[in-house]
Parts: sequence; C-alpha cells; structure tokens
Amino acid sequence: MSYRELHKKEIEQLESQGCSAPDWKAVQVMEPFHPERIKDVSFSGTVRLGVFDAKVAFAGGMEVKSGIYSSRVHNSTIGDNSLVSTVGYLANYEVAGNVVIDSVGMLYVEGKTNFGNGVEIDVLNEGGGRGLKIFDRLSSQTAYLSVLYRHDNKLQKKLSDMIDRYVSEQTSEKGTISEGCSILNSNRIRNVNFGPYATVQGASVLDEGTVGSCKDDPVTIGDGVIARHFIVLSGSKVDGSVILDKCFVGQGVKLGKQYSAENSAFFANCEGFHGEACSLFAGPYTVTHHKSTLMIAGLFSFYNAGSGTNQSNHMYKLGPLHQGILERGSKTGSFSYMLWPCRIGAFTAVIGKHYTNFDTSDLPFSYISEEEGKSVLTPAMNLLTVGTRRDSSKWPNRDRRQDPDKLDLIHFNLYSPYTVAKMVRGRNILLELKEKANKELEFVTYKGIAIRRLMLKTCAKYYDLGIRIFIGNCLSDYIEKLTNGSKLKGFIDSLVRIKEKANDEWVDMAGLLMTRKAMEDLVHTISSGEVTDLEKLGQKLKSLYDDYTENELAYCLKLIEQTYGISIESISRDNLIQIVSDWKANCVKLNNMILKDATKEYDQSAMIGFGIDGDEETKTRDFQAVRGTYENDKFVKSLQGDSRDIEKSATDIIEKIKNMN
Amino acid sequence: MERSEVETKVKGVIARVLKINEAEISSDANFIFDLGADSMQSMQLVAAFEEEFDVEMEEDKALDVQSVAAAVDFIKSLVDERN
Repeated sequence: MSYRELHKKEIEQLESQGCSAPDWKAVQVMEPFHPERIKDVSFSGTVRLGVFDAKVAFAGGMEVKSGIYSSRVHNSTIGDNSLVSTVGYLANYEVAGNVVIDSVGMLYVEGKTNFGNGVEIDVLNEGGGRGLKIFDRLSSQTAYLSVLYRHDNKLQKKLSDMIDRYVSEQTSEKGTISEGCSILNSNRIRNVNFGPYATVQGASVLDEGTVGSCKDDPVTIGDGVIARHFIVLSGSKVDGSVILDKCFVGQGVKLGKQYSAENSAFFANCEGFHGEACSLFAGPYTVTHHKSTLMIAGLFSFYNAGSGTNQSNHMYKLGPLHQGILERGSKTGSFSYMLWPCRIGAFTAVIGKHYTNFDTSDLPFSYISEEEGKSVLTPAMNLLTVGTRRDSSKWPNRDRRQDPDKLDLIHFNLYSPYTVAKMVRGRNILLELKEKANKELEFVTYKGIAIRRLMLKTCAKYYDLGIRIFIGNCLSDYIEKLTNGSKLKGFIDSLVRIKEKANDEWVDMAGLLMTRKAMEDLVHTISSGEVTDLEKLGQKLKSLYDDYTENELAYCLKLIEQTYGISIESISRDNLIQIVSDWKANCVKLNNMILKDATKEYDQSAMIGFGIDGDEETKTRDFQAVRGTYENDKFVKSLQGDSRDIEKSATDIIEKIKNMN
Repeated sequence: MERSEVETKVKGVIARVLKINEAEISSDANFIFDLGADSMQSMQLVAAFEEEFDVEMEEDKALDVQSVAAAVDFIKSLVDERN
C-alpha cells in the first residue's frame, strides 16, 4: 500500500470541483485515483485517500459512488471504497475500507484519549469505594472481582495495574472507524472508536467511548442516543433516545425506549427499556422493561424487574452507602420496593413493599411478600412454580451473543451446587427453627424476615425434594456416559477419586459458578503475580468454567453421603439403584406439582374478562381461541415429555447398573 | 375419628388460614373459586391440616383436592390409615 502526492492536473480538477487544501502536498492518494469522486471537500492536515471505484448501496435501493463529497476532512485516512458525504467535520480518524459516513455533524478526536477505556464508574455504591474501571475486554467475572473483593488490597492493586496497562495501550490521538462501519445522520461524535461493522444511525451525542463491534455480531447505535464515557460491546443494540453516562454495555445487550443509566454496568444479554439505572451492577440476563422502574445500587443477574420496581438507599445519614444483592434468578413484582441494604436468595420472587433489611441468601427459591406491612418469606415455593422452570429453560436459548469471543462465562443450571448448597442450609435452618418455635406463634423471624411457623416443616420438605433431584440429575448424567459393560468396582473407584475434590461452599461469580476454594485460589494467583495480564486472567477463568461438571459431581457425591447416609467408598449396587429410583419418583412428583401450578393458567379465574358479552360457553370458547388449551400448551407438553423421558432414562440407568460386572 | 368431627376441624383450619368466618364455609365450597385460596394459601392449608390431624400428606395428591368435602374425605382416610 503506497500513497503518492497529487499531480498538478488532479489538483486543478479537484479545485474546479469545489475542493481546497492549504497544502495539497499533505493530501496523498493511492492508485488508481479518481478525482471525479472528490467534490466540495476542504482538506487540512495530513490526509490519505484510498481507492474509490465501487458503489455504496443505501436503504431504499439508491446507489452512490464511493468517494468524498461535501465534507471537511482533517488529518485523517479514508480507506478503499468508503463514502464520506455531507460531514461537517471529520478529524483525526483512521477510516478503514467500505465505511459509510453520511450526514454527520462532527466526528473527531481531540487530544490524547483512551476512548472510554479506564473510566472509573461507581457501581453498587453511589458514593464510591467500589469503582469499576471499564474497558473493552471487561467480563462480568473481572468486574465481580474488581467491585466486590474490596477487602483484598493486594488483589485490587494487581487487577488495577493489569487494567491500567491495557488501557494505556489504547491511548491515541487518532481514532479508528473499522471496516464496514456505517455512521449516518448523527450529530456529534467525539473521541469514539468503532469496531468492524458497527452501525450508528441518528445518534445525538457520542463522547469518549468505544463501540466494540465485530463482523459476526455488529453493534447498532440508534436514534437520539446520548452516550458519554462508555463502552458498548459486540452484538449490542442501543437506540430509542437512550442516555448513558459512565456506563459499560457488554455483549448482546439491548437498551432502548428512552432508558437512562449512569455509573452502571450491563453484562451479557441484559435488556433495559423505559426505566432508569443508577450505580447498577447488572450481571448477565438482568432485564427491566417497564416505566417507573429504578434500579439503584444493586447487584443482579438472571433477573426480571416488574413495572415500578424500586429500591432505595435514602435512609442514610452519612451518605448513600447501602447496597443490595439479588442473587441469580430473582424477580420483583410490579411496584415492589426494597429498602437497602438487603440480600435476596437465588430464584426468589419479591412482591410488595419492604421497609426492613433482611438477608434470605440461605433460603433460595422463595416468595417474599408483604402482609399488613410485614415482610413474609415463604421458603422453597418457587421450586414448584411454572415460572421458575420456564425461566431456567429459556435463558440458554436467549443467548444473543454471536461473537466467537464471548467475554462473560455463564453457567445456566437451575439446580447447581450453588443453589443446592443453599437448599441444604435452608432445610437445616427451617428444621432448627421448627424445633425451637413456640406453637402458639403464627410467625418466626429469621435474619430480619418473618416465616410462617406452619410452613417450616413443609418448606424443609420441598428443599429436600430439590436436593434429591439434584443428586439424581448428576449421578444419572455420569452413569449415562459410561460405556456398557463397565465394572462396578472401577465405577465406584472413579467416584471415590472424584469425591476427593468435593467442596460444600460455592460462589456465583456473576454467572460463573465455582467452589469457594477455586475462587480463593484464583484470587491468590492474581495477588501473587502468577496471573500477570488480562489475557491470562481470561484463560484462568475459562479453565474454571470448564471444571464445573467434575466439581458438580464431586459435590453431588459428598451430598449423597450426607443425604442418604451412604459412604461412597462402600456404596452398593442396590444403593445406586435406590438413588436413581428416588430421583425418578421425585422428578415426576415435582413435575406434577408444577403442572398443577400450570393448570391455574387455564382455570375459571384465568378466564375472567373473556367472552365479553356472552355466557359461560362463550367465555370458554373466547379464552380457548386466544389462549389455547392446557392440553396443547407447549410448556405443559414439554414437562409431560420430560417426565416420560426421566422415567425411561431411569429404567435404562438402572439396567446399566444391574449389568455392571 | 368420625367424619363430622373431621369436618368441623377442617372448617376451623380453613377459617384460621384463610381468615374467613367459619359459618361461611359450606361443605361443597371450592378452595379457589369460592374461598379465594391462592397458591401459597393452598400450601398453608396442607401444612395446617398436617399439624391439626398429625398426618403426613403427599403434596401432589393433597393439591388435587379441590373442595372442602373432598378435603374431609382425604384427611379422614389418612387419619383412619394412621389409626
């Protein structure tokens, strides 16, 4: 690729076409140069032009010849077959090939910039103290360490150094607009880098940022967007007059419909419409779609916000210190309110307004409701609902990320050692509370929240059901993978070996599930300097992600010993058959209970308002025309199929166990 | 235990859990449509019946029970079985 100076005749032609330059020697071109494709352009500084010999197609079918028209270009390179048209001011950019920049007010780089990399945003605590340095390789896992492990100064220093080194590599006085980008009908863009195939259409202001797009998964920035100090990564769509200030938008995120956010980070597959976010750590699959929804100073993941959901940290006296944690899979109902600080256990539904501070992290799959001003917890209820099962199966299918380089590592499992260890603790807590409870009392209190005394035994039973299902799931998966004719002794020996790794304590590192021990080791490898850069950190995290299945089985084996009172070293063929039979019975029982929950979607109360002017028969027919029937419901059919599959699978596995030599 | 005794106790439990007047509970009343029990209250009823009659119920079977009369029959069978 070599550039040359313009010939005298070319300069004359350009000037006759309304072009000007204070020094034509600073304008260099590449062969073959077509001066007829440069019209009404003011050049300044050093400008390099590629070859313009193709056409650019616009929506609606119009084709325009690549080239530069009616624009001012300063100190920039324009790549082959790009089109720059009606641009008020394009300065200090390396524009790659096949880029379209049309009807843009100002697009420029001013001074040295990091393009949004290294900007520190105050997530979780508005007042600071948990500042997260954002950059265009940030994963939810790195953010988790950075934001939540503030007690470890050494770790923070090493992490910060790694990030600073990466950020310094991004510093430049020139911006990049990569291959295939389209920047159309936008107002003012300053100090922003654009990855391949990004589309910006109708943006209002983009200031100090990176649009980390890629060909497999382009980014779209749409109408009216105002974004300052930001990172937006591949596959994300930000449009509908969204306002972002100091925000990180990870991969496959959708923000639109006038959503506004500040000091917030949104990781893989988050969705934000209409509402507001402030100091939010939105882990993977945090979703808020409705108006009047303010999410503030909280850590969320696999979360769905009902309309008007609100939290507050306003009852402070020394500043907005308080924070909230909703563990994975939680939901908040319409106009629910929580007073921070609060910690909500995994897969819990929060309904109503709550003015006390509670911690339900050891009581997952619960309902938290408001009864006459009192916050009431019903443990384990969410194990039995259609919604929980449906959510858990829909998340993997809704992973929008097409980028082959996925930054956030996500385990989707509903029953995992993380949730099951909580169920074990939950069951023990409930049974202990039951033992101690005064039978005259309607409620007992646990960590700030009321639980109906009557439900203690029942809910402990539901946790036990979940625990046994998890055990059966893991063991069955492992046995299913064994070849026919495996030897029983060899099989048990392998279980004993795997059990060695068992660990009771698990953590959810913003989507990545791992043992607490593995987390401690990870922190040590960073603090000790073994992991020296972000790439190595990414590799380490990926290896922890890959370890999940074996660690899950190890935990399951330990749980077998605790739950069934059987030592793995001496487990017998009959014991194994008993566990699998137990699994089958419990799975079918749970599915039947969930199916019963689903019947409510089709009963008389669900039909209220249907058949508006008719009788009961009209009501039923109208309902069936709109909603269908229980028997034909896709979810119902799949759950019924699941029960059949489990029964068949259990029979096959038991046969396999019987055939072990 | 006589059926009538079971019925009286069942109605007492329903009144307490659903916070309604015992006199308003008819034998053929449906828990959901007539007495307005939601999912959580249905679970609470099962737990309350278990405590009142000192029996263990299989939840999936217990939740099949739709009316007061059916609940009385179901519980009586469990009590008889226990005795």
